[in-house]
Amino acid sequence: MKSIKRLKPLAAVVGAGRTKFGELWYKNPEELLTEAGLKAMESVEYGLMRKDIQACYFGSFLYQVTNKLALIPGYMARELGMNIPMSTTEAACGSGGSALYNACLGIRSGEYDVALVGGFEKMTDRSEKIIDDLMFAGDPHEFGAGYTFAGLYASMMARYIHDYGDGSDGKCREALALVTCKNHHHAMGNEYAQFRREFSVDDVLNSPLVADPIRMLHCSPVSDGAVALVVVSPEVAKNYTDMPIYIVGSQQATDDVSICSRESLTGIKATRLAMEKVLKETSMTMGDIQVAEAHDCFTIEETFFLEDSGFCGRGEGWKIVYDSYKSFNGSKHIPYVNGNRELVVNAGGGLKADGHPVGATGVRQVYECFKQLRSEAGGNQVDTEPNVALCHNIGGTGGIATVHILMRDLYK
Amino acid sequence: MSEPITRRKLLVDYRIRAAKCENCGRVYFPPKSFCNVEGRRSRMREVDHFYKRGTLLSCNVIRGPTKKFDYLHSFLSGIIHFQNDNLKVPGRITDYVPPPEEVDVTEFIGREVVPRFRKTYEDGASGLIYYSSLNFSFEDDYYPFQEYMPIKSSGSKNEGKPGIVGYGVYLPRFRIKNEAQGVLSVAERTVPFADEDTTTFSVEAGKRALIHSAIDNRYVKKCFVGSESAPYAVNPSMSTVSQVLELGEKYEDGFFSGGIDSQFACKAATDLFIDAAALVAYPTFGGEYVMVIGADNSQAAAGDPLDYTVGAGGAAFIFGKRDVIATLDCYVPYTSDTPDFYRRDGEEYPQHGGRFTGVPAYFKHVGTAMRAALRESNLTPKDIQYVVNHSPNAKFPYQVAVEEGFDREQIEPGLVVKYIGNLYSGSCPTALAAVLDIAEPGDKILMTSYGSGAGSDAYIFTVTDEIEKKRGRSITVKEQIENPHRQYVDYNTYRRWKESS
Repeated sequence: MKSIKRLKPLAAVVGAGRTKFGELWYKNPEELLTEAGLKAMESVEYGLMRKDIQACYFGSFLYQVTNKLALIPGYMARELGMNIPMSTTEAACGSGGSALYNACLGIRSGEYDVALVGGFEKMTDRSEKIIDDLMFAGDPHEFGAGYTFAGLYASMMARYIHDYGDGSDGKCREALALVTCKNHHHAMGNEYAQFRREFSVDDVLNSPLVADPIRMLHCSPVSDGAVALVVVSPEVAKNYTDMPIYIVGSQQATDDVSICSRESLTGIKATRLAMEKVLKETSMTMGDIQVAEAHDCFTIEETFFLEDSGFCGRGEGWKIVYDSYKSFNGSKHIPYVNGNRELVVNAGGGLKADGHPVGATGVRQVYECFKQLRSEAGGNQVDTEPNVALCHNIGGTGGIATVHILMRDLYK
Repeated sequence: MSEPITRRKLLVDYRIRAAKCENCGRVYFPPKSFCNVEGRRSRMREVDHFYKRGTLLSCNVIRGPTKKFDYLHSFLSGIIHFQNDNLKVPGRITDYVPPPEEVDVTEFIGREVVPRFRKTYEDGASGLIYYSSLNFSFEDDYYPFQEYMPIKSSGSKNEGKPGIVGYGVYLPRFRIKNEAQGVLSVAERTVPFADEDTTTFSVEAGKRALIHSAIDNRYVKKCFVGSESAPYAVNPSMSTVSQVLELGEKYEDGFFSGGIDSQFACKAATDLFIDAAALVAYPTFGGEYVMVIGADNSQAAAGDPLDYTVGAGGAAFIFGKRDVIATLDCYVPYTSDTPDFYRRDGEEYPQHGGRFTGVPAYFKHVGTAMRAALRESNLTPKDIQYVVNHSPNAKFPYQVAVEEGFDREQIEPGLVVKYIGNLYSGSCPTALAAVLDIAEPGDKILMTSYGSGAGSDAYIFTVTDEIEKKRGRSITVKEQIENPHRQYVDYNTYRRWKESS
């Protein structure tokens, strides 16, 4: 215990379940969600009955397009055999984090004590057109300019290299490949990950071009999957487990849907604002965070996170990545090091290696932190017995950002 | 995309329309009804960036495009900054073909770009075609920036016989070379980029004509677009041209102007020169100017003899009776039902009668009209400085002119077909523009068009002193032909692009 200050929690996670991520061709989206939901319920230490659940919060981006269905609450009422309030949040890749944010509001309001939060996506049912579909989260003028999602991030990455990596003798470009190497290394022990395979810098820099300067191995994959959490009010948390993981910060911020109208191409304002709010809410600094799940849809985004979160200064993210990777001597997780601060980012492989079924991702990040904080992460458990974790989930190219801070032990 | 969405979107995209707060100067794209800072105090007005230039803030090479852009394979997309308004918009960089190896896109950052009116994509072969000016080319490349600065007319004291007030020519950047000596003396030809078609040529040519003439677009009350390769069988290119160039007085989101698309093989545009001149002189017309555009993505089946002469592009002429650079002094049409070249509705390519297209068709009609025009004007070939004939190739127009008594010096300046190919409806207008580029006050020009089916229009123009004032505002045909940034493509690329246009 570093200090005696006790934080007031907003909610607590007492159970979590997920499917494997990947090409799950034999299941419908509602079946994936049911599988994750049942696993989450069954994982609750002292048991949880369906009748205990008072509300469901789902997050998904594209299911209406990929699976030609709507009203997921109706499907889930059938699957779960319940008639409780349910809602679905759409916030592109930030749908899962937004669903959890809404669930926290429901619990904070006092209306509910027990909620089920689920995120899901079924992208491979329409893999032929998924590049087009993802552009629903961009401005129509960006689509009209021929942009793809990789292209939008590629333009941000190009500007970042231009502004901050110029004269680095290729080190900046190498750093943006090292993010891939690190996250795939982290995924090696993750039994649910879509890709459990190491990649070298050469592998990344020789992979097919997708949107110069972005290559295939700079990108997170197209994935199917679902994740669920049992989220309860702090007051009842101990009824379900001796080791609830408390949500002590839950914040969200938004920005213009188009990267063109934003203040900067080399950072995400919504992340910065949500981070400022959540650190203020918890009276923490980035130095207090021990593990983080960052939204690494493309490797440049993980680099932005290091800067937008305040872990390092503007334009220094790539140097942190480069130096941390090059100076690492261990065998398991590769932490980012800035002075005396250490931060393990994406301990399970992140979006890059674990997979990115977009609506599930924000919930998967909390699943990962729940497991890490309870030392239940199995093969990808970090060695440091962390107590504080942060989840950073963004939608689109930064039109929305949701940040949650989780703690096992409420004393700080 | 639905028709209503298309309508709403084109109102923004055609002119890169934004909203500016007059209180604080902030500019919003797409336009919005209030300023984020000023709130209820906002005073918003429309601003557009159609004639502006921007700077590339960043970009990337799209290698795996969305389905709608598959036809372009790979291309640059970027973010463009219009510095005056501090406005950033997304845009595609056109006329650029990325190499297969990685491009260091950071080297493009900071380069100036110019908006181009191009096709974005289409809904299959039977659906709508979407156009936008959010396509850009590098300013230091093929297409330079030109400022549009309307000049108030010197008024009625400079009013007289109707004629040409200004013109503009648009030739695509890409070319294909013919083998050895060329086919029928056509050495190379213009090739449309995959996102170009007759409507985009027409807009670009019309834009240049407005810049050259320096007239106010609001006073153009009629616009004719002559072509035989209009992108739609029904739905005029002319209304797109008018909407983009804002021809006529604006009322709500439309304009008090009219016009039609016309079709008469290669003389679809020149036939209307006389109508344009007549209209501006007609008291109840109520407008100052008429724009006539001839443009084509000239069609030819693969392997057909035409496949070795067809080009792409067009020219726009503005007719009026003030500040005229060339008066229209004589007009003689000649027509007969001669089926030398035709395309049935729904067919992709035209057919022709081989050698029959020569003597009984082209030579008979062109020669007859030329002779009649000289006769009616009491002129001889010696009185004419330049002779311009429709140019399906470089031999026909030369031969018919020689037969009518003209010599090489009079013919050669108009034989631009050698370097750009047969532009069909744009052929004669472009050749006329090439001659006007170099003509001196007092020169007389005999122009005779030819349209299969068949007919010819012979015109005699006399160049005025006004032409000198407008030089320098145009990009001459010669400059476009000799542009060092023109780029050659192989036959397969030429066919692929031509067929996607």
